[in-house]
Amino acid sequence: MRARGFKRGGVPVDHRAPFKTGPIENAFLPMNAIVQLREHRCAVEPIPVVSVGQEVREGQLLARSAGKASSNVHSPIPGIVRRIETTRTPGGFDSKAILVSLEGSFSMLGKRPERYLWKSLNKADIAHIVQDKGIVRVSSGEPLYEILSERSDAPGFVMVVSALEMDPYRRTEEELLALRAEDVVDGCAIAARMALPSRIVFAVDERIEPATLEPLRELAARSELDIAIQRFRRRFPQDLPGQIAEAMDIVDPGTLFIIEPSTLVALHEAVVSNKPHIEQYVYVGGGSIKRPAILKARIGAPIGDLIEECGGFSGHPETIVIGGPFRGRAAADLDAPVTRTTRAVLALSPEETKSAPERPCVRCGDCVDACPEGLSPYRLLKLLRSGRPDEALAAGLGRCSSCGSCSYACRSRIPLVRYFDEARQNEVRR
Amino acid sequence: MNCTKLELRSYPPFIHDWKTSAKAAWICSATLVPVALWSSVLYGRIAIVTWLTAVAAALVAEAAASALTRRWTLGDGSAVLTGLLIAAAMPPGAPWYVPVASAAFAILIVKAAFGGLGANWMNPALAGVAFAYANWPAHMREYVLPRFVAGVDGVSAATPLTFAKGLAGGLDIKVMDALRGASYPLSAIDGAVTGFLNDSLFSRLSARLPDGYIDLIIGFKPGALGESALLAVALGSIVLVSLRLIKLEIPLAMLAVFGLLARLFGTGLPGEGFLAGDAMFAMSGGSLLLVAFYMAADPVSSPVGRGACLLYGASIGALSFVFRRWGAFTEGVAYAVLVMNVTVPFIEKAATGLRLKRGRVA
Repeated sequence: MRARGFKRGGVPVDHRAPFKTGPIENAFLPMNAIVQLREHRCAVEPIPVVSVGQEVREGQLLARSAGKASSNVHSPIPGIVRRIETTRTPGGFDSKAILVSLEGSFSMLGKRPERYLWKSLNKADIAHIVQDKGIVRVSSGEPLYEILSERSDAPGFVMVVSALEMDPYRRTEEELLALRAEDVVDGCAIAARMALPSRIVFAVDERIEPATLEPLRELAARSELDIAIQRFRRRFPQDLPGQIAEAMDIVDPGTLFIIEPSTLVALHEAVVSNKPHIEQYVYVGGGSIKRPAILKARIGAPIGDLIEECGGFSGHPETIVIGGPFRGRAAADLDAPVTRTTRAVLALSPEETKSAPERPCVRCGDCVDACPEGLSPYRLLKLLRSGRPDEALAAGLGRCSSCGSCSYACRSRIPLVRYFDEARQNEVRR
Repeated sequence: MNCTKLELRSYPPFIHDWKTSAKAAWICSATLVPVALWSSVLYGRIAIVTWLTAVAAALVAEAAASALTRRWTLGDGSAVLTGLLIAAAMPPGAPWYVPVASAAFAILIVKAAFGGLGANWMNPALAGVAFAYANWPAHMREYVLPRFVAGVDGVSAATPLTFAKGLAGGLDIKVMDALRGASYPLSAIDGAVTGFLNDSLFSRLSARLPDGYIDLIIGFKPGALGESALLAVALGSIVLVSLRLIKLEIPLAMLAVFGLLARLFGTGLPGEGFLAGDAMFAMSGGSLLLVAFYMAADPVSSPVGRGACLLYGASIGALSFVFRRWGAFTEGVAYAVLVMNVTVPFIEKAATGLRLKRGRVA
């Protein structure tokens, strides 16, 4: 089976941080959970249905979806609602957040999960559960219910279950594929029943372990679904929709429905075990973390708690990053809460960030070689800096996917992506 | 876009490639150290003095520019590199004020006056060298024989290229034979290595390496400091290419075109027929390799994009040949690069236009 890959640019990911595989552990429950209501910059804010001082059970509805891109939010822990206020999310936008402090007994922890035979459910039943349990696509923060029903209106698309980890750190999706293959394939079947894809492709790393691949093949064959397994080259940003489509020789990335194993596991648990989206698999690692690990953490837990559980810092981290090293955001502090889109928390050492003072562009052309969209980032920057955004758009600024390859490669450490993002935001405002 | 530096650094991506523009300049400078060492072995004290003066002058000029613009830029390594490159183009024994003035002109006028690193539209080192050629033509064309060849320091002689130029229109012989005929000194090393190569390798290919080429390569001939250490320059170029610090297309296209033209039209001697030029002689002289890998491929003053780089390199190769073959002086390579530096915006535009025509968006 030949590994596929996008055609130009990108950053090779040859050296991965070492990681010891093993069963995924539950993180300790946080004393205080800060539950953010919006997972997406463009989402309508869900409306809180609890009030300050109210006692809530684990998994009880905290806020109800109120429109486009918003989803139901549940309490990750049993306790008392202490505060409801607007805070800045790690993603850089404002959202109302509900603070729940731990108190009372657990209804889900330690209990054997009930297993519901979902095969008897029809499309409408599944849609209802997905909406009710507030399942969110962890890679984008969009409510899964919305994406699935949009897809089911326009059949003939390809569903891609992407276990691609295109940075030197995160291993969550690969691990889930290895440890919970059955649930992933089952979750895939649930999603397929609702969205009706023409075919399903499991996108896996070119160097996937045979021990992972073989059971997956068997499960796929037994599933009565049209599942193909396709290897992809390990090169950033292979995990972006545009690059997946390019690698598969598909012209329009819009015809792909990309979903990750971790989302499928959450979907599976919602349908089979009646569990709302209150947990998240978080990779905690980076050169400044003593024992990198994947933790199953409750939504709202402060990232500092997770780092603590991984042995704390070794050395002095230069930056704490939420999300990937290429496209994540810097954490303002260690109290930043885990959200349904927090896939990784990285504490990066100066040796990893390799940051240096910004210098003028020396026209080395490395950004041109790195751009997966075939743009000339140095020229776009020159146009933007000389106040000609229209010419920059004509030169292809609109095709930039903010992957960050150019800034990664830039010898002068110019934050190219930041300029491009800002220019496009200004364009939207105009 | 008016955000502070601190905020800028907390923007993704959070990891970076190992290369920085400062590191690239320092590595380039480091690869010139063997060149400096070899030329110091060849010419002794006069070479060491020239290397040190040029670098010191470049550092002082950069410090002055930093003070004027209130931006501390000595750490980016480009000043040291410019100083080294200027020294490499100096003839051994040039008076101290020649490298000093070149370095000052390069850094203060060519670089700082246009806005510092990244904004210069000419290679500063080459512009400094051209400045020296214009102001002190006599000093810049006064060469001496290396100590090992002459036995004593400071025996003046013409470079092989200048010698060959003087021959033009004269006797009907090949350039290397002419050199020998003029009792140009031949070193013992050359005799030994040429003999060994002929016996062990070329005899089997039924070919023969004439005397003198080994001397040209190891620098046992009069020449500029960097020109003499051809092997060290080649070594440095390999380092630069393998670390991907320079755009390889430029030197490759330049050397290929130059070599081809030299082979086709000769070095200017009447004895050389069409298709029988002495390309090896032509390419070993005039700092061709040094200019190709260290100056023509300098990222700031060269175009971006594969096609543009090939066009740029090929044009430099062709121009250098024309300047050297039919021009008055032997330093045509330097002028060729400077001329092409000026045309970079047009070359880039042309390359982009071609890509657009072929249906690919820029």
